[in-house]
Amino acid sequence: MLITLERLTKTFGSTVAVDGLDLEVRPGRVTGFLGPNGAGKSTTLRMILGLDRPTSGRALLDGRPYAAYSWPLRKIGAVLEAKAAHPGRSGRNHLLAMARSNAIPASRVDVVLEQVGIAGAARKRTGTYSLGMGQRLGLAGALLGDPPVLVLDEPVNGLDPDGVRWIRELMRSLAAEGRTVFVSSHLLSEMQVTADHLVVIGHGRLVADAPLDEIVAGHASLEDAYYSLTSVR
Amino acid sequence: MSEMRAAIAAEWTKLWTTRTVWWALVAALVLMAAGAGQYAIYADNGDVDPALLRDGVVPPGTVAVLALAFAQLAFLALAMLVMTGEYSTGTMRATLTWIPARGRLLLAKSVVVAAVTFVAGTVAGLVGASISVALIGGRVSAGPVLGIGVYLALLGVFAVGLGAVLRGPVVTLVVLLMLVVVLPPLLQLPEIGVLTAIADGLPGVAGNHFLLGDSDPYAPGLGLLIVTGWAVAAFLAGRGELRRRDA
Repeated sequence: MLITLERLTKTFGSTVAVDGLDLEVRPGRVTGFLGPNGAGKSTTLRMILGLDRPTSGRALLDGRPYAAYSWPLRKIGAVLEAKAAHPGRSGRNHLLAMARSNAIPASRVDVVLEQVGIAGAARKRTGTYSLGMGQRLGLAGALLGDPPVLVLDEPVNGLDPDGVRWIRELMRSLAAEGRTVFVSSHLLSEMQVTADHLVVIGHGRLVADAPLDEIVAGHASLEDAYYSLTSVR
Repeated sequence: MSEMRAAIAAEWTKLWTTRTVWWALVAALVLMAAGAGQYAIYADNGDVDPALLRDGVVPPGTVAVLALAFAQLAFLALAMLVMTGEYSTGTMRATLTWIPARGRLLLAKSVVVAAVTFVAGTVAGLVGASISVALIGGRVSAGPVLGIGVYLALLGVFAVGLGAVLRGPVVTLVVLLMLVVVLPPLLQLPEIGVLTAIADGLPGVAGNHFLLGDSDPYAPGLGLLIVTGWAVAAFLAGRGELRRRDA
């Protein structure tokens, strides 16, 4: 399943957050989404998920906008904020409501709770979760509908080293299964060992869209390559 | 249609898996019981509007309707939190990724709130009327008790829709209290025709005319129609805002 952006543009008043972005995110690989703070990464992800309305242009999943899908959680799983669950609701009930909203069998709830390693805390209220547990709960939600596309906004925030390694391997295995994995991050060293392909934006515009090897070629590290990309312009 | 059923199931699950709903329902019943006790004693002492008397006594259903002035606040809080709680806890974006069709989401929330406020409102009406019977006698009739459930269901839909327009829990509650509780006496007190007529168009006053079955200034059925109008208008305005604005 493809994510396609066509001249995607979003302005807030006189500020241009995303400026005519053309992009295709392909299945079977981890695509890293990089750019400085305020470059438009989160706005782009929100438009892919139908949360923000593009000022012009389109964001499509296999040719259709997100809101056109009857059961979107079965097409695309997303982690947008570390804590998207009501603090007074247990993690299990959060996932149960989520499953019901998209007619996903309730048995999937226990499967994903095991998969992300928070089955032991499933009946606790999410307000008591640490940042890392919140991230794992978010991932459980993303995986709930067994979707062919995953969109993750800063998924390693708040995770300990084991968690970082775990999520890296999870993303790689999801991509190896043929899924589309689109992940934004600030952590360049982490992206260097996780991503196959990189998309870099600055000031809402596309700066680079190329395989990791190609972007790093001629530089000591992704970090050096990134600074030369984002400062030259 | 199955998408609508799934959206209702999800909202139903969400409603019953936080403590808010339980607090609100307990508060509603306590307020109803206390209010009904108080008004039953007033009625027994002859301290109520003589227009409320039927065959020389105040019917139990009427006592429950009077006590609703307090109890409805808990129902309003419950209903508006179903919507505004999504914004105050930051879960709205997640919810909209589950159910991206804005109209479907708002309808699901409205259906769930209306179902709960109808049943709980009818129970509260029964409790209020029964307390009145216990204190001053009379017989409970089904009409006013079910009427309270219908009124609270419509008021619930109104509060959900208004929450979708205003988003913040505090501002939504303030506007609800202004429209339902604060403005009516301010408008009615000076006894100026045009102000009284405005008050008669507000949802709480119209609901009272409907529930008390009085024909002044308009028939009870018109009172019900006015409350329905507020609920429909708030729903449509909320749907428009959800579709227009970014989450």
